[in-house]
Amino acid sequence: MPVILCRNLTKVFGKTPALDKLDLTVDEGTIYGFLGPNGAGKTTTLKILTGLSQPTSGQAWVDGIEVQPNSRHLQSRIGYLPEEPSFYTWMSAREYMKFVGRIFNLSPGENDRRCDQLLELVNLEEAAGRRIAGFSRGMRQRLGIAQALINRPKVLFLDEPSSALDPFGRAEILETLNRLKAEATTVFLSSHILADVERVCDIVGIIDQGRLVIEASVDELRRRFARSVFVVEFEETAPAFAPLLDALPWIERVHTEMGTEGARFSIRVKDMVTAKQELPRVVAASGFTLRRYETEMPTLEDAFLQLLGRKDSNA
Amino acid sequence: MHSLRVMLHNELRYQLRSYRLLIVAAVFFLFGLGTPLLFNYLDVLIPAEDFVLPEFTATDVVEEYLSTVAQVGMLATILLAMGIVASERDRGTAAMTLSKPVGVGAFILAKFLALSATLAAGAIVGAAGAYLYTFVLFDDPGAGNFAAANMLAWVYLVFATSLTILFSSHFKNQLAAGGLALVILIVLALTSGLVVMREFSPGALMTEAQSLAAGAGIQNWGVVAATLTLIPLLLLAAWHVFRKKEL
Repeated sequence: MPVILCRNLTKVFGKTPALDKLDLTVDEGTIYGFLGPNGAGKTTTLKILTGLSQPTSGQAWVDGIEVQPNSRHLQSRIGYLPEEPSFYTWMSAREYMKFVGRIFNLSPGENDRRCDQLLELVNLEEAAGRRIAGFSRGMRQRLGIAQALINRPKVLFLDEPSSALDPFGRAEILETLNRLKAEATTVFLSSHILADVERVCDIVGIIDQGRLVIEASVDELRRRFARSVFVVEFEETAPAFAPLLDALPWIERVHTEMGTEGARFSIRVKDMVTAKQELPRVVAASGFTLRRYETEMPTLEDAFLQLLGRKDSNA
Repeated sequence: MHSLRVMLHNELRYQLRSYRLLIVAAVFFLFGLGTPLLFNYLDVLIPAEDFVLPEFTATDVVEEYLSTVAQVGMLATILLAMGIVASERDRGTAAMTLSKPVGVGAFILAKFLALSATLAAGAIVGAAGAYLYTFVLFDDPGAGNFAAANMLAWVYLVFATSLTILFSSHFKNQLAAGGLALVILIVLALTSGLVVMREFSPGALMTEAQSLAAGAGIQNWGVVAATLTLIPLLLLAAWHVFRKKEL
């Protein structure tokens, strides 16, 4: 059952279109990765879906409620973390959390419990009494995530939630997101860190110039759009290996790196099955001393770049 | 109502924690004590050799105090209100708050009420000081008229608050908001002597306050009625303007 639905969602700033008839469907309980280059319309989409911005045309529904600007009915069911969360810095983290809890009409007891729980979840329990003014960017990001969860939202909108976090913080957040999935919370996640999206998202939507380019699972995207790369390394410093590959029809591109301690060939292929059978034979027949032979798994980043046509010639 | 209560509680705490309440009370208290003291010791401060200083009465002192409240209070009000919405929009705290079930109306009204309460506290403290020192150094200015005149002065500041909040809701730049509010309030004050303006302009409210303090009562009730009508209308306009803004 779709919990987020956008139909022909359009947003124009002056004469510049930010969203161009965006159609989007997100099913309940999924972690949806919303990807796109800078200025693609990710934040605009999130702002419309959270009631902070009004679309120029088109409609959207979240949890069955039609999205209207500043709709309290909608906003009581969602959690939102903007890209750069801002707080009342004269408050302590705990005071801010309690303030948010009061907005959601939590009882004092429930508010206290929820605050403690969430501050512990984002590892801010020791800093809970400190003023937010003294918080680092990472601490603010973690507080932002905690405040977005206080009402046990049905849908959680996260705009770049891990961009300011160190690897430990990122890992914790990803673990939290996986836990939310078990609680049937739908997470709509915009991120530039594709490795994070790859780790937690069930479905990925890629947006470019305000339009949804594709929507698929991470595996499907990798399968469809990312080409596998074979890496072959020889002991010889300048082996004439590339010419041996030139005439082979299943080879797409060869990138060569010659070093003082050997040579490295990154080989992108058109036909994986044939390559798996034929390439070892070509290597053996070349007579060069093999140091390394492996297949690099395609990443979501490869698929992303390939799909948006911005892949450089590396490999 | 629930979100208004939560937001108002938050705004009142901010007035306390940011020392705004303390600063406003201190400024009003300073002028409240300062005006009667200045009038009483004016002959010491300005030795009159070539001219004779007039004999000041309690009414003169109160009129001067009210005039100071109108000028200094207005500037203080603009300074306090010009960033009240604009800076939250600029910093992103408005988006954080308004992505939760808080209406734009509650958001703006809470700010208005909290600032009005701060100004009320300042006006009470200042008026108490002015009354006490005028009573001791001059004469009883008449508690009833004095209190009513100060209440009108506060209404004028509340009007200035609602006007500044409107511009603060429109502009992202708080200096633009404060500057425009200041210009309008100055124009209203300068034109308050003109025929129609004298009867209906909020700029003439301080003249009515002074008239009240002098025991002459309110001359133009239209001024009071217009000001009291404009305050909610300005807030309504602020709500209308702000709800259209991209956060």
